[in-house]
Amino acid sequence: MSLIQIHDLVKRYDAQTVLNGINLEVSEGDLQVIMGPSGCGKSTLLRCLNRLVEPTSGSILFRGKNIMDPGVDVRALRQSIGFVFQQFALYRHLNVMDNITLALRKLKHMSKSEAEERALLELNRFNMSAHRDKYPSQLSGGQMQRVALARALAMDPAVVVLDEPTSALDPVLSREVGDLIRQLHHDRITMVCVTHDLTLARHISDELVFMDKGIIMAKGSIDSLSREHQNPQVRSFFGRESGSK
Amino acid sequence: MTFIDILSQLSQGIAYTALVTLACSVTGVVVGLLITGLRRLSILGLVPLLDTFVYVFRGVPVLVMLFLVYFGLPSIGMTISPMLAMVCSLGLIAGAYLSEVFRGALDSVDPAELLAAESMGMTRLQILVCIEVPQMLRFAIPGMINEFTSVLKSSPFAYTVGIPEITKQAMTLTATTLRGIEVYLAVGILYFAIYRLFLFAIHQLESRYRVPGMT
Repeated sequence: MSLIQIHDLVKRYDAQTVLNGINLEVSEGDLQVIMGPSGCGKSTLLRCLNRLVEPTSGSILFRGKNIMDPGVDVRALRQSIGFVFQQFALYRHLNVMDNITLALRKLKHMSKSEAEERALLELNRFNMSAHRDKYPSQLSGGQMQRVALARALAMDPAVVVLDEPTSALDPVLSREVGDLIRQLHHDRITMVCVTHDLTLARHISDELVFMDKGIIMAKGSIDSLSREHQNPQVRSFFGRESGSK
Repeated sequence: MTFIDILSQLSQGIAYTALVTLACSVTGVVVGLLITGLRRLSILGLVPLLDTFVYVFRGVPVLVMLFLVYFGLPSIGMTISPMLAMVCSLGLIAGAYLSEVFRGALDSVDPAELLAAESMGMTRLQILVCIEVPQMLRFAIPGMINEFTSVLKSSPFAYTVGIPEITKQAMTLTATTLRGIEVYLAVGILYFAIYRLFLFAIHQLESRYRVPGMT
């Protein structure tokens, strides 16, 4: 069943067109990987999903309802879409536990103990419960990304959106985060992952979507895109990245 | 009369000095926070008004504002107590300065954290209260200490409206003993002692709420 359906999505900033007619579908349990060079519109596409960025035209159906409709509760929509950012974006003044429980208490109106119980479940999933009292500055990059994932999942979202989750990590930690994403996919958690890291893309998914200049240029497996795609630009992107692997 | 006697006589004014400084500092923090919060929430029509308030109150000398409030308001039928006059002049001026300190500190909060909170569905007010202000206050401590020190140093103006704080006691004592050097040396020592005490209290608070990785 389709969770997200994107039709002819366009986003313009004055004269610059960032998204130019995107069509994409994400089903429940999917792990949709979107690749493309920097500045191709990947992050803008993700931010349109929860209206952090307002699209210029087109539609996004979330569970069959157009999120651009005037009556849509944007805050409720955002609670259904977990976001994980490339720089982790943990709240520096809060420890790991408070980072996770803040939204549970303020948005889900859970009591402190309920929120902590929920947070511990997620921290255990990522083997981070021993770090519950630490502050973000006391964690490694991989640990921070685990907390960011735990924070997103604690809200029990319908889909988790990952914006370049490994771009701030070294190859070993990137691999670790890749393993976590695979584990979440195995647990049937719906995810949309934007990356330009081909190693990560190979690690987490067999198929992906390739974007450039605001349009989806290709869909398919990395091998077929690197060898057989008719567009030399696509072959070149994947061929070069595969060669450097 | 020994130097200790002079200190002892002057110490009768310490409580008033501390009270004026504390009342004006607290008013300054509350007003500064209010201005910063309202500016941040960009409530329509309020921002130019707040900007004007800050512009005016930063530009007017404390003594002029104090006289305007204490001696000026009665002419339009509003009589206020000396302490309230201090709060409405020195306190509001401190608030205007602190709002600028807070504005700078607010800019140090990582925009990615605000985006993360927004993406989770938090309201602008929740983001301000739960994320921006707690971080801002930590970043603002050096600027706040400067402002509290300025308030302490401006507190002697309170004697002009009849509050018997240290300087007022010193003037009386000098008039009766004619020992100006010792008296004002003792005044300096007392102000320095109060300053150190304030500093100690703030550092205690700072270390109580210190977070690793945030300076």
